[in-house]
Amino acid sequence: MGSLSLNYIVRRLLVFFLTLWVAATLIFIIPRLAPGDPITAMVARMSQQAGFVENADLIIEGWKERFGLNDPVYVQYLRYMGNLLRFDLGLAMARFPSPVSQLVSRALPWTIGLVGIATLIFFTVGNLFGALLAWTKTPKLVKVLIPMSMIFTSIPPLLAGLLLVYIFGFLLDIFPQAYAYHHSFREPEFTLKFIGSVLHHGFLPAMAIVLVTFGYWALGMRGMMVTIEGEDYMILAQAKGLKPFYVLYRYMIRNAILPQMTALAVSIGTLVGGSVLVEVIFNYNGMGTLIFTAIREQDFNLIQGTSFILIVTSALAVLIIDLSYPLIDPRISLEGK
Amino acid sequence: MSEQNNSGSDRIVLNVDNLRIHYATPQGDVIAVSDISFKLYEGETLGLVGESGCGKSTTAYGILQLVQPPGYIVHGSIEVEGTEVLDLTEEELRKFRWTGLSLIPQGAMNSLNPTMRVKNQIIDVIESHEGKANYEPFKDRLIAFLRKIRRPSRKEPLRKYLGEWQRNLTLLLRYEPLKERIFDLFQQVGLPNRIYNMYPHELSGGMKQRVCIAMGVALHPTVVIADEATSALDVVVQRIVAQTLVEVKDEIGVSLIVIGHDMGLLAQIVDRIAVMYAGKMVEIAPVENVYANPLHPYTQLLIDSIPSIKERKPLKITEGITHDPRNPPSGCIFRLRCPFAWEHCALEEPPQIIVEEKHEVACHLFDEQFEERRSNAFAAIANS
Amino acid sequence: MAAEAKTKTAVVAGGTKKAGAFNRFDNPWLNWKFLAGVSILGIIFFLIFLGNTFWDTSLALNASAPLNLPPYGMEYQKGKNTILVGVPEHPLGTENSGRDMLALLIVGTPRTLGVGAIAASVGMLVGIFLGFLAGFLGGWIDDMIRLATDITITIPSLLVLIVIQSVLGSVDLVTMALLISMFAWATPTRYIRAQVLSMRESGYVQMARLSGVPVRDIMFKEIMPNLLPYLAASYIGNMTGAIISAVGLEVLGFGPQRIPSLGVAIFFSIEAAALLRHMWWWWGIPTVILAIVFIALLLINLGLDEIANPRLRKAN
Repeated sequence: MGSLSLNYIVRRLLVFFLTLWVAATLIFIIPRLAPGDPITAMVARMSQQAGFVENADLIIEGWKERFGLNDPVYVQYLRYMGNLLRFDLGLAMARFPSPVSQLVSRALPWTIGLVGIATLIFFTVGNLFGALLAWTKTPKLVKVLIPMSMIFTSIPPLLAGLLLVYIFGFLLDIFPQAYAYHHSFREPEFTLKFIGSVLHHGFLPAMAIVLVTFGYWALGMRGMMVTIEGEDYMILAQAKGLKPFYVLYRYMIRNAILPQMTALAVSIGTLVGGSVLVEVIFNYNGMGTLIFTAIREQDFNLIQGTSFILIVTSALAVLIIDLSYPLIDPRISLEGK
Repeated sequence: MSEQNNSGSDRIVLNVDNLRIHYATPQGDVIAVSDISFKLYEGETLGLVGESGCGKSTTAYGILQLVQPPGYIVHGSIEVEGTEVLDLTEEELRKFRWTGLSLIPQGAMNSLNPTMRVKNQIIDVIESHEGKANYEPFKDRLIAFLRKIRRPSRKEPLRKYLGEWQRNLTLLLRYEPLKERIFDLFQQVGLPNRIYNMYPHELSGGMKQRVCIAMGVALHPTVVIADEATSALDVVVQRIVAQTLVEVKDEIGVSLIVIGHDMGLLAQIVDRIAVMYAGKMVEIAPVENVYANPLHPYTQLLIDSIPSIKERKPLKITEGITHDPRNPPSGCIFRLRCPFAWEHCALEEPPQIIVEEKHEVACHLFDEQFEERRSNAFAAIANS
Repeated sequence: MAAEAKTKTAVVAGGTKKAGAFNRFDNPWLNWKFLAGVSILGIIFFLIFLGNTFWDTSLALNASAPLNLPPYGMEYQKGKNTILVGVPEHPLGTENSGRDMLALLIVGTPRTLGVGAIAASVGMLVGIFLGFLAGFLGGWIDDMIRLATDITITIPSLLVLIVIQSVLGSVDLVTMALLISMFAWATPTRYIRAQVLSMRESGYVQMARLSGVPVRDIMFKEIMPNLLPYLAASYIGNMTGAIISAVGLEVLGFGPQRIPSLGVAIFFSIEAAALLRHMWWWWGIPTVILAIVFIALLLINLGLDEIANPRLRKAN
């Protein structure tokens, strides 16, 4: 196994930290680009809803002072960056005075668990199906059944979630309609019953992601397999009289999976976006639902914090995939780029 | 340099009879190999030459049952030591491959799996044909390992004692029963042992080609087919690799078919040469006959086209195959370019005429009834 | 597929069978996936046209149909009989705030598609520009563009869009499309850059360069025509992504509320707990229409893939 070349690691780390910086800066700039300032806008919306807010000016001034919005922009920026480095995301206004970081750290594991397991499933199933689609020795029936199973491909997970929750949650009533675990558990605990409940609740949201996603990977894998079937080493593998199944996994899948890994890193962003919406549909206890709550309660601080942490998580996932890539592709360590 | 043990044995190891391969296109089939027949004797090296597109590689892939779609074998018979290859079932064919016929591929650069270590690519071919039976069970290895455990003696340096542990552990955990055998193969083809654990991209082109040779002879197949095995390498490496090929072949006593277009290189390593033109085998002859006394007009052109440093001469071969490969001309395939062609050539396809032992030519000029015409024609050439 | 299998058996058996039909030599644009996708979209547009002509689209506005709870039509009855028939005035039923579902579809579907088209077009134009720039000029420009694409692709665009929209509040569809296009350029850029790079190295472009053809001509006369199927596939993929983003934002409540699009309809239905009330037509019909649109786009994309990559055709 070739060792990771320094150049490669440095480049990946550079992209990672730049991503974090860009995301943080965007989140800092966006509210300041909008006409007026976020506090005034928020109070304005509040008064729209409530009809009238007493002492609106005082509230605005108070909050501006509290959030340091009267300081020069660069001071605000530096302070904001400093806070981020200390994982201090401020206070959630909606659930005053819970710190955003506390809400986030409660929600994040659920999202990581849901998306992680869903990813594991669709990546495995998708690549396996794609490989079977392209393999010449696959039984005819399988080759007919696989494309049929892919009809949901390209529908957003959100819509699949709606259909699934309605059919299996409401009509058939096999799976729960909301939350990550049964409401009889007040706090997560480490018992078999609890884990069972989590799996039961997580099944539909995970399926909503898997059903509409694995087809993409199957199609991508099929394309890669077709390309690889034309390679010189495939002819030699055939000439060598290797067992067909061995050729399939050691020569074809092993080589075809490499670009699929790169594609996975690229798709993380879209995936996280999709899972946020699935969580909203299922009212899952993760980051998506937290964002949705924040949006409805117009808690800008919470929206910022949740988004930023999700972006960090995605970037981290991409970084992990990128850094583990040279472990499965022996050629990358030499190329450097 | 090379031994040209033309004597060889007279036992036929490969008999190709009336083999025809087409490539299907929407405008009709392209005839890539047209009813060719030849025999390969035990221990013999046969060179297969011809211009690009004459069907020499297709012949090789046909023999190996590796014709890729849209190509397909129309008819013919390929017998390897009495086994009819075309009649084998898929599983029989798989087992027959590499033990009966092995291939040293054209593009050694891309013929090795990029994500597998060299050792594993050789091991997989050995194991898929010989099985994993030669593995010592883990239990036995564990017992052997436990037996070897001992206290360090007082005088012994610690490093030596630890080194022994390391060796024993390696034997227990990374037991590689094929290692010695692969090292032997490496030595045969002149590869250093250090590439054992390397990946293909870490090797030079010549080394990759040697790995392919080592792989090709690993199971001592009956016939090895080297498909332009050296043409991607630079000239010096070409010669060395070709030399290695012949040495290995002599050492383990396989029969070899070498496909190439470098007549000079082939002359040094082969016993007989088969010349192909447009899917037809026009002449097959011992190598010294071909160079000293080429019979078929096309072979003559080919020999004349070998550049010489003694004299400058104009190139006689002017163009490639001129006819449409879907509709070959009637009669002799070469008559459109042949300087000696006459009416009879368009009427009848020339048969393979045996002029002497192991020397056949497909040209009407060598039919006894046209002997006069032949002497006239050749006399004219000699005079010009 | 058929041709390949047949020749394979012929080879194995040493038979004299001739290969079958040659689908892959046929006109590549006539593959069933592409045609099916285009036909589905065509039918949708035709129905929209018919709807605009024969149906009163103002019924899509709030409270234009009688407000009554439970709403008209498409009622779900638990028990033996499930009645799935709307009333003549509202064949697909109405929703909570009195919008006619049929009118909503007629108005909402083209709006949803429009968001996708605008965002994908803007993203594509930027992508073509940057992709060619990076692929053709190389050097530090290429490095910078690559870095920017890597970063943009890593950041989940939906989250940034949520942050933006939570500042702006609900916006009209064109603004939403433009916001989405801020992230829709990265994938095409990456894709086109890779294609341009490989084409730049190919023989005919090298020839053109050697014979002194100006760079602009090489780009637009040599490379562009060969890239067309790739560009088209990329555009469709981009459009799918943009619609997904738009629907996502709408479902989160950021869409324009007065004249609804399909995503906004779903947002309202979730808000009103339509799932719980078994008012499946409210969210179900927009969902199914969207699903059909996505399937059509996927089919077009797959068809274009096959046009661009002949090897895939062979594998069929």
